Amino acid sequence: MSRPTHPDPDVDACAVSTHGLTRRYRGVTALDRVDLRVPEGAVYVLVGANGAGKSTTLRLLMNLERPDAGTAEVFGLDTVRDGPGVRAQIGYVPEHHDAGYRWMRCGRLLRHAAAYYPAWDPAYADHLGRAFGLKPDRRVGTLSKGEARRLQLVMALAHRPPLLLLDEPTDGLDPVVRRQTLALLAEHLADTPTTVLVSTHQVYEVESLADHVGVLREGRLVAQLSRDELRRTVRRYRVEVPEGWEAPPGLRGTGARRSGTGREVQWTLVGEEREVTERLALAGARVREVTPLGLEDAALAFLPEEGPR
Amino acid sequence: MLVNVDPRDARPLYLQIMDEVRRALVVGTLRPEDPLPSVRELASELVVNPRTVSQAYRELEREGVIYVRRGQGTFVAPDARSGRDERRALAREVAKRALLDARRSGLGVEELVTFIREVAAEEEGEPSRSAAAASEGDEE
Repeated sequence: MSRPTHPDPDVDACAVSTHGLTRRYRGVTALDRVDLRVPEGAVYVLVGANGAGKSTTLRLLMNLERPDAGTAEVFGLDTVRDGPGVRAQIGYVPEHHDAGYRWMRCGRLLRHAAAYYPAWDPAYADHLGRAFGLKPDRRVGTLSKGEARRLQLVMALAHRPPLLLLDEPTDGLDPVVRRQTLALLAEHLADTPTTVLVSTHQVYEVESLADHVGVLREGRLVAQLSRDELRRTVRRYRVEVPEGWEAPPGLRGTGARRSGTGREVQWTLVGEEREVTERLALAGARVREVTPLGLEDAALAFLPEEGPR
Repeated sequence: MLVNVDPRDARPLYLQIMDEVRRALVVGTLRPEDPLPSVRELASELVVNPRTVSQAYRELEREGVIYVRRGQGTFVAPDARSGRDERRALAREVAKRALLDARRSGLGVEELVTFIREVAAEEEGEPSRSAAAASEGDEE
C-alpha cells in the first residue's frame, strides 16, 4: 500500500489530507504515520487524550513545524512547500492563549490582522467582537484567558477562510460564552462554506456540530469515520453470560463492565451489529439489547479506559 | 415552536428535529402556513450543524409537511393538519421508547400495557378530577 505516490481518488474532495505524517520530538514519536482525510465542508472533530498528537497535527498543517516524515496537503497545496499559500486559507485558533502583540489594543490588533487577509470582513469582525463583548480599547496583554480566546476566535473567523483549524477553541471560556461561541460557529457555517478541523478532549462540546470523527491515541490515528458510520459500527451490547464466562479474544472495545450479579455484562464494541452479535453468541453470551451511542461515547470506544491497565 | 434536541440521544439529530416539528404540529403550537425558523436560526439556537437542520427540513419537505417559498423561507404546508398520520407517527415514537425501556427492565408488552392503564387510571382518579370527568363524558 504505497499511498504517497498514488493518492486515492477521494483525496481530491478533501480539504485536508495527510500521508504518513510523522513528527518526533527528541526521539519521542508524537505523531506516527497519520493519514488524515478531512472532506470538504466537514466538521471534523479530532479526539484524543492530552499529548495524543492533536495540537501537533494542527501545527504541522499550519507549517509552524515541519514533519519528520510524510506530507500534508491543504486544498491540494503542500504545507511545507507552500506554507504561506496554505496559511492564507486557514483561520487558526492555537492551543495557547497568546494572541501576540501584547502592547496593542484589541481594536488595533484586529485592524493589523485585517491587513494580512484580503477577504477580511470588517463589519463581520465588528459583529463578532460585539457578540463576544470585546472592548477595542483593552490592551492585548491585559486580557484574561477567556478574553484572549475570544479575540483569537474573531481573528480566525473574520476573514471567512475556507478552513478553520481550532485547537481546543472553547478552552478557558465560561459555560455561557462557550455555548455562545458554538452558536456563532453554527451561524458562521450557515453563512460561509467552511471546513472545520477541531481538536478537543471535551467531545460533548462539539458533539452536535461534528459530522466526522478522528481518534488519536499516542500519536496514531486509530479511527477515522463519519458520524453515520460511527453510529452504525459502535454500539453498546448488553449480554447475559454464564457464571465465570470469559470474553472471547479479538472483540475490540472498552472493557467489559459486569453488573452486580455477575451474569450481565455491558460492552461497547466496534463492528457491524450482526457480526458482533454472532460472535458473542458463538462465545456463549446471549445478547439482550443493542443500543447505538451518542458521538462522544462512541468515540471513546477507541480509547483505552482511564486508570492503570 | 419549541425545538429540543439531545446530542447524547443516540437517534440522529435530524430525526430528532423532524420529530420535534411533528410534535409541534400535533400539539398545535405549529399550524398550517406558520413560518419555521431559518436553517441558520435553528442551527444557532440548537448549536447543531446547519447541514443537520437542512437535512431535517429536506426530509420534512419530501414528506409534504413543510414547503419552501422561494426568497421567503420555510412554512408549514397548508394541508399538514395535525391529522392522523402525524399523530400516528408520534404515537409510534412514544411507544417505541416505552417498549425499549420495558425490555431493558425485562418486562413484556402485555405487562407494560396493563400497568400503563393501571397508572393512568390512578392518576385520573387523583388530582385532576375534571380531566377524568371530561374523558368519561366523551364516552357517553
